[in-house]
This record gives sequence, C-alpha cells and structure tokens, in this order.
Amino acid sequence: MSSEDTARQVRSSAFVVSARKRKLQKISKMAGESTLLLIASFVAVVVLFIFFFVARDAVPFFQIRGFSEFFTSTNWYPADDPPGFGSLAIIYGSLMVTVGSALIAIPMGITAAICLSDVLPFSVRQYVKPIIEMLAAIPSVAFGFFALVILAPLLQNFGGPILMWTWWLIVSPFLLLAIIVVSELLTANIASEKKRKILHATSLGVFGLIALALLFFVGRKLQGIEILTGTNALNVSIILSFMALPTIVSVSEDALQAVGRELREGSYALGATRAETIVKTILPAASSGILAAVILGIMRSLGETMVVWMASGNSSHIPDPWFNYLESVRTLTATIAGDMGEADQVTGSARFHVLFAMGLLLLVISFVSNFISERIIVRQRKVLSGQ
Amino acid sequence: MQSSPEVVETSQNASKSVREIYLPPERKKVSGGGVPHVSAKNFSVYYGEFEAVKKVNADILSKYVTAIIGPSGCGKSTFLRAINRMNDLIPNSHTTGSLMFDGEDVHGKFTDEVLLRKKIGMVFQKPNPFPKSIFDNIAYGPRLHGIKDKKTLEGIVEKSLRKAALWDEVCDRLDKNALGMSGGQQQRLCFARTLAVEPEILLLDEPTSALDPKATAKIEDLIQELRGSYTIMIVTHNMQQASRVSDFTMFFYEGVLVEHAPTAQLFTKPKDSMTEDYITGRFS
Amino acid sequence: MNLGTRKLLDRAFTALGLGSIAVMAMMLLVVLVPIVSKGFSAIVFKSTVEHRKMVFNEFHRGNRSALEKEIAASDAARRNVYDMLSRFESELMLMNEDKQQEYTEKYDQVKSALRGLLGPLPGDSEPALTRLTYGQNRWEKAEEKLQELLYEKKWDYSNPDVVAKEYFVSRSAGFEGTSLARLFPYVEKNIDRMLLPEWTFYWGFITDSSVDSHIFGGIWPEIQGTLFLAIGAMLFAFPLGVIAAIYFTEYAREGFFNSLLRSANSTLAGVPSIVFGLFGLAFFINTLKVSESKSVLAGSLTLAIMILPTIIRAAEEAILAVPKTYREASLGLGSTKWNTIVTVILPAALPGILTGGVISLGRAAGETAPIIFTAAVSVGSAIGLADVFTSPTPALSWNIYNLASEHEAAAEIRHVQYGMVLSLISIVLLLNLSAVILRARISKKLKG
Ligand SMILES: Nc1ncnc2c1ncn2[C@@H]1O[C@H](COP(=O)(O)OP(=O)(O)OP(=O)(O)O)[C@@H](O)[C@H]1O
Ligand SMILES: [Mg+2]
Repeated sequence: MSSEDTARQVRSSAFVVSARKRKLQKISKMAGESTLLLIASFVAVVVLFIFFFVARDAVPFFQIRGFSEFFTSTNWYPADDPPGFGSLAIIYGSLMVTVGSALIAIPMGITAAICLSDVLPFSVRQYVKPIIEMLAAIPSVAFGFFALVILAPLLQNFGGPILMWTWWLIVSPFLLLAIIVVSELLTANIASEKKRKILHATSLGVFGLIALALLFFVGRKLQGIEILTGTNALNVSIILSFMALPTIVSVSEDALQAVGRELREGSYALGATRAETIVKTILPAASSGILAAVILGIMRSLGETMVVWMASGNSSHIPDPWFNYLESVRTLTATIAGDMGEADQVTGSARFHVLFAMGLLLLVISFVSNFISERIIVRQRKVLSGQ
Repeated sequence: MQSSPEVVETSQNASKSVREIYLPPERKKVSGGGVPHVSAKNFSVYYGEFEAVKKVNADILSKYVTAIIGPSGCGKSTFLRAINRMNDLIPNSHTTGSLMFDGEDVHGKFTDEVLLRKKIGMVFQKPNPFPKSIFDNIAYGPRLHGIKDKKTLEGIVEKSLRKAALWDEVCDRLDKNALGMSGGQQQRLCFARTLAVEPEILLLDEPTSALDPKATAKIEDLIQELRGSYTIMIVTHNMQQASRVSDFTMFFYEGVLVEHAPTAQLFTKPKDSMTEDYITGRFS
Repeated sequence: MNLGTRKLLDRAFTALGLGSIAVMAMMLLVVLVPIVSKGFSAIVFKSTVEHRKMVFNEFHRGNRSALEKEIAASDAARRNVYDMLSRFESELMLMNEDKQQEYTEKYDQVKSALRGLLGPLPGDSEPALTRLTYGQNRWEKAEEKLQELLYEKKWDYSNPDVVAKEYFVSRSAGFEGTSLARLFPYVEKNIDRMLLPEWTFYWGFITDSSVDSHIFGGIWPEIQGTLFLAIGAMLFAFPLGVIAAIYFTEYAREGFFNSLLRSANSTLAGVPSIVFGLFGLAFFINTLKVSESKSVLAGSLTLAIMILPTIIRAAEEAILAVPKTYREASLGLGSTKWNTIVTVILPAALPGILTGGVISLGRAAGETAPIIFTAAVSVGSAIGLADVFTSPTPALSWNIYNLASEHEAAAEIRHVQYGMVLSLISIVLLLNLSAVILRARISKKLKG
C-alpha cells in the first residue's frame, strides 16, 4: 500500500464509508421504509377486509332468497314462517330521512358557511367555530336520546302549533322579499315616473294580500294537524340535519376559502354588493367543493344509526302519502342494529345474512359517494391552482 | 483599496484564476490555509430537466471566506446546498460532473451524507432554532453523534456559544426556549449550533438577509472571527457585505460561474463585463 | 333593480347566514340545557330516607346511628298509616260480599300505591326484586306517587272523534264513610315526616355500580366500560395512525400507489358506523375469534379501525405544519432522517397530533353502533382489567340507548338516563376542550 493510499484512507474515513457499510445502510433504510409502508397500507388492507367480510356474509342471503324480493317487496317479516325479507320500505325509509335532513341541512349549511367565510369578521368567527365543533362532537346517542325523550313528546303534544309557527317564521320573510323584488321587476320598465310609482304600490298591495292569505290559509291547515306519534320521519330528519351540518359547513367553508381574494376583489371593484359577489362569483367557483361537502353531509345522515333507531318509530312501511314525514319509518341502519340481537342466535340463516346485505348496500353507497366527492375535490383543487 | 497586494501561496491544482491571491492590507494571510478544500469539475445540478448550476469549475480554498453573488435565481443556493447534499431533500434533483471535498467525491456512491453534513455545516437564511431550550439546541448535534456526558456537553455548549459571541448574552438563560431570543441572537445561536458539531466548512446562505443592520454587523464580525479556523462560503445579495467579509468572490449568472477571483480584484478590476455590470448595479 | 332593493337583498342574504348560525347555536342550547340541568339532578336531588336506607344497605355508606334515628322517626309517622290499613281490613271483613268485592279492588290499588311510596307494607312477604324493597328514593318522584295515591287516573272516551282525554278522581271519595277515608288527608299532610326529604349530593351516582338494573345506584360500570373501550381503541389506533402519517408526509412519493392509500383512508372515514359493527362481528369475533363472543377487546379493535382515519389526518396536518426549516437545520447538523423525525419533527408536531388523538378518543367514547355487536351488554357489573380480553362490558353510549328504549321502567328512571347522557357528553366535550387548549398551546409554543 503506497503512502498516498494510506493518507487517502485516513482522510476519507471522515465521510466516505466502505461499500459494504453503504450497502448495509441502504438495506436498513429500505427495510425501515418498507416497514413504514406496510403499516401505512394497513388502512387499505382494512378497507379491503371490510368489503370482503361484509360481502362474505351478505352473499348467502342473495343465494338463499335471490335479489328481487329484497329490492322490490315491502314485506318485512323476518321472524314469520314463511319469512319475508322485502326491504323496499326500509330502503325507502333511509332515503326519506336522508332527503328530509338534506332539505334542512343543505340551505342552512351553505348559508352558514358563506357567513363564516365572507360575512363574519374574524373576531366573531372565533366564537362560531367552536359551536360547530361542539355540534359535531356530541355523540349520536345523545342526539337520539334528545329526539326520543324531548323532541318526540313535544311533536306529539304540540305538533300543529309547532308546524304553524315554523311555517310562519320561515316563509313570511321569504315571501316579503319575493313581493318586493317581483314588484320592482314588474314595474322597472315603465317610463313615466308617476305611473310607475302607482303601479308599484298596487302590485305591492296585491301581492301582499295574496301572500298574507296564503300564510294564513296554510298556517291554519298546519295548526289543525294532529301528529299521532312523535317518533317519526320529521323528528329524525330534524336531528339528522343538525348532525350533518358541521360536515357541510366546514367542508364548504374550506371550498369557499380556497376561492382566492382576487376573485372577490374583482367583483367588488365592479360595484357588486356582497350578496351579488357571493352568488354570482364565489359560489360558482366553489360549487364543486360545496357539492362534495353536501355529499359528505348526506352520507352522515344515511349512515347514522342511533338517532334513527331511537326516534324513527321503526315501522317498516312506506308512508301514505309517500311524502308524509309525520309517520314512523324504519331505516337500514336501525334494522341492522335492531335485528342483529334476535338474528344472532341463528347465525347462518337468511335472517342473519339479510342484515349483512343491508350493510353491504350501505357500504357500496358510501364508497361510491365518497369516491365521487373525492374526485370533485381533487378536480376543484386542480382548477383553482390553474392546472 | 488594494495598495500593496500580498501573494498567498496556493497549491498546484488550484485553478488558474485563484492561483495568485491578492489580499488587501487589512486582511491577514491565514496560516495553514489556501488548500483547495472543495473542488468542482464540470459540476452541474439539475432539477429534473432543468440545469440550475451549469458545469462549474472552481476550487474553494480552505480557511478563507468565499462569497457567492449573483442575481436571484442564478443557482447560488443550489450550488451551496449541493456541497453538503441538502439537495437530496428535493425529489428528482441530481448532479453530474464531480464535486470533491477533501479529495473525495461528495456525490459518490460510498459517501455517507450524514457524516458529510457533520463535516460541512450550514446556516440558513432565516434563523431556524428548534423550539427547544438554548442548551438543547446546541447540544442537539453533539448528542446525535453520541456524546451523552452532561459535563462534556456543557463544555461544548459554552465553547460554541463563546465562538459565536453569544455566551455573555445568554449564559444565564440556557434553559429558556430559543424562540424567545431576538432574530440576531437566534441566528448566532444557529452558528453556535453548527459550530458545536465541529465542522470543517461553514455554508452560509444569506445569513443576514432577515436581520437588521446591527445584528448584521454582529454576524459579519463573527464571520471575521471564524475566518482562519473554518472554510466559509457565504451567499449574499449585499455587494458591500461580500467585499467586507470575503477573501474570494464567485459571481454566478443563470447557473454559470462567470467569474471567480479574489474579492479585492473582482470588485475593482472585474475581468468579465457581465460581472462589472452586476457589481455596478446595471442589472440585478 | 334599483340600489335600494339590491342593498335589501344583500342584507337579507346576510341575515339568512346569520340566522342559520343562530339556529345552530340555539339547537346546541336546546340539546344541552335540558341534558345538563336534568343530568345534574341525578347527582344533586332531594333524597328521602328510603334513599339513605338503600345507600346504607347496598353500598354500606352512611352513619348507622343517625340513620336508625331517622328510620325510627319516619316509622313513627308511618305507624298511623299502617294502623289505618289494619283497621280498614278488619272493617272489610265485616262487610257484605258485594261491598267487599267493590272495596277490595280499590283497596289493592291503594296498597300498591302506598308500597310505591313507602316500600313494603307490614305483613308483606320479602319482595323478590330490590326495587320493591325500598320506597321512593327521590322526593320529586315521591310527590308524583303521592298524586297517584290521592287521585285515580281515568280516561274519557265519551267523544269518539277525538283521542281519549285523561281526568282524575279523588280516591278518598271512593272510601267515603269508611275508616280509610282519613288515610288520604293524613298521608298528604305527613308525607314529608314519613319520607324525611333532604337535599343530597349523591356522588355515588358516578362511582357506584347499579342496583336492580339501574333502578337504584350509579353508573360506574358504564363509565368504566366506556373508558376501557375508548382507551383500548387508542392503544391500537394511535401508534398505527401516527406511523402511517409519518409515512405519508415524510416518505411517500407521489404516485398511483400512494393516491390509492389516500383514497383508502378517506373511504374508511366515510364507512357508516354500523357497518364497522358488522365488520367487527364478522371479522374479529366470527373469523379471528379474538374472543368467544362480545368482548372489550373486539370492541376496541372495531373502534380503533373507525378512528384510524381521523388520527392519520390530524397527525398528517400536524406534521406538515412543522416548518421545513427545522428539517433542514437538523439534517444540516448531520442527523439522519429518522432521527430528525423522532427528535425534531414529532416533538414539534406533538400538540397537533395529541389534539387529533384526544378528539378521536372522544369519538370512540361516544360511538354506539360499532360496539352493539362487538362489546356492549345491557346489564352487568364493572369488569376487571384482566377480563377485557374475554368479557363484554356495559358502556355509557349503549346503556343510554338501552335504558331509554328498552328498559321495562324507562319512564321511571329518566334521571338515570339524563345522568348518563350528561356523563357521556361531559367526557366527550371535556376531551374536546382539552384538545382546544392543546391547540392554543402549540401556536404559543411555536411563536416562542
Ligand atoms: N426545488 C426546486 N425545483 C425546481 N426548480 C428549482 C427548485 N429550487 C430552485 N429551483 C430553480 O433553480 C434555480 C436556482 O435556484 P436557487 O434557489 O439556487 O437560486 P438563488 O440564486 O439561490 O436565488 P435567490 O437569490 O433568490 O436565493 C431557479 O431558477 C429556481 O427556479
Ligand atoms: Mg437562495
């Protein structure tokens, strides 16, 4: 070994290592990384397992009973002899409470999100956010208890007046606004100032009277309604909507925030009011994100168990007429939760497996809507970042 | 400025432009320095397809201060970060050519980048102390490299803080969170933290750009203190700073090393017209 | 449109948003206020001597001599009642058959109402159920029972068009002319001497086990079960989630596989909770057979899977929020990547990670559906730590459902249900509150 080589070795020992050591380092790094990867892919494995194991116990049901009964019949008599496993009414019940809650939660959620992102000053927002987070944190069984013990008796005893007051409170401001806007639009093109004013006043008066009549008439009708049972689709829809709201609000707010300041300033600079800016500029830009928020919120309603189990009345029939929210319904989740206890004793029977079939149905729906909402979010992010 | 230039002996393989070193009178010759510590040969750094540093040939002489100047985006940081392989953090960046440190290839197959970074310390643009106590910040490196003994650590911490001219200001609050210090103090803490692992080279990427003039002056003094003990490379946008603190200056333009010369010479008699335009502020 | 209308619409729009937020806040109040106020009445209430008797006999707490004195005093007041009963009984013997039959029926109602109020009557055989061995424990319930004793509830079916209406008839009128007529005014006047009501702080509601399926006693088995399940879930999910988050943020390279993993994560987050229950039953119990049937272990595993995505997301966010400069500084000092993660990044991200963990802990504690088939039982005592692998447990969430919807005397034990709901909500909201405090700490710490 020449002296130069020795010198080199002494110096290089500082940061150059032998081939063997380098290889070892590489291997251990790889091993570490693959361990991490393995743990990270645990989630994917779990998702696969969930599909597999729920499907494994769902398939026997369809083998025993076929498909058509489950989806088309409303004969739900799993304990009878011969049994009936028609789940149409149950699927419809799930649909009904989901739609009901969506009807309440979507408008409220989106307007609240707009309020949070564009209207409220930061100092107020600080106090509003915890309210929403608290709503999200309250366990579902507590909501269910509230629905069953407090809301249901209220609806049963004071149903008519409650409906009437809600009608008045919600509809009258909207009608008032509509009257003002419509009168304005009707008379906008009249040239003569004097004639315009007279016509404007008349149209205000006429529409006002019509609206008042409508309010009173429907209000009276509603007041006369007797709600036979407080555990009904309306009750559940109300509660579910408050459980879906936090999701809708926070995801929509993110989408609204993602629309940059430039867009807003551009619109204000053109002389638009805040409402116009929001409706015409920001909402369209954030629409896909809001859609994703709505899907996620609806999924919460569809997948919720305890509230519907405790407060929907659990009666498996399609209400008459089909939009009658004052009747009891039964949902997929509540059926799974409620029937497993009895079905469990005869593991292996159609009665046991039908519950897994329902679970699979829920799983597939949630998977598809999750996939869609994720795609939507990804796409919006791409659009907004200009790719 | 350079009335009586002093000529420093350099070794054989130093590139031609720096073979003769002109030092202004106020700068002392460094004993035992002037050996090429880092040498680049046709060295390029790529981000994907984009060649951010283009075929650079240069010798950085040991124990002297070398400034790197050039317009924004010309590849100064990229070159600097290639020396201690911080560029490894950026996915799909790679290098060609060779970059030797102490006669070994920095990007070679058998280089352990962790050991390399111990030898080549770095101080960044923004002071970046860990959210830990001052003591723990400085002891971080030594602990990493296996020093556990409390006494030894205390010794290292004190020595490093003294070297960074920070000891007198913080000796009574070593257990306080480092984030509670002023920006200038934080930056000197970062120096001390780097010095604590006893590197041979200090890479400074715009170390004063986030500081006020007073803190900047302190850092510049510190660099003068450290000159002669460490090979120092400093990226700066401040021409005055470059001429104040450095012995050599490299001027980069669009990834190309345009000129590399003793500072005194580069600032008074630039060989390249582009360099002249830049230092006279005709473009930036 | 003219400017006035546009401004009006603008205001209306703002009002709409504010209104929605106000409705949400109101809903929160409407839910929380009754639950909190009535929940507290499970702990702080006017108890009767019967309650103190119960606590002494079942839980061996209380001052014996003081209690004996109280019992003696209340017995003195009750003796008159019992005397009246025996006098009426002898009167009853002397009546003719028709009258005897008519009175016996009414008299039995009176006796059972009295039993509900004061406990077993002299001469009764030892009752089989604990709930029958004591009179009313709570004063407000005693007052209700008193009304039942004094007035008989009847239904008015006379108008077939409307739902039957209830009305009340005085029982004392039914015994006009007999010696028993005097009993009703006497009981009404002396009820507090017989039951000795007194404000009590019954902390045992939290720490006692239940007696006779929650008619008396506390909810400790449920609280403990909830804690076991939630903490067990965390033990599995927290390390897994944090490691997965480290992988996603520090190691994963963009690519198909990585985006697949991320999709899996959000899919898992969207699975309905009841489906987790089905999966837990089908996989952990029926396939892996981690336990013979329901067990805390199976429930914890199921909950762990449910909260995993939340933990991963929170940890990812926390790690991404750590400034990049820390990473550079540490690596620049010659630290390895893993060492940097352990010594610099994780400590800096810890508050954020813990915040996510604590919120997930709350979620695990509050969930019901996943444990219905895997871990929860309706009645049972607190289980030992060693039993978690084999035995199921009562849990707050499940027992709230069970007591409110399936208990045979659900309406009688509303206070227990409210107390349970309050306990559960307190656990969950306290956890969330501590998460908020933790989060406030991070920003303070990172700012220095
Ligand atoms: N991570 C990266 N990926 C791709 N390109 C990069 C990356 N980092 C830097 N670049 C590009 O490489 C070139 C050199 O960047 P570098 O940061 O080295 O410039 P610089 O001279 O340090 O500039 P400044 O004075 O602003 O700090 C620039 O054109 C930049 O756009
Ligand atoms: Mg730079």
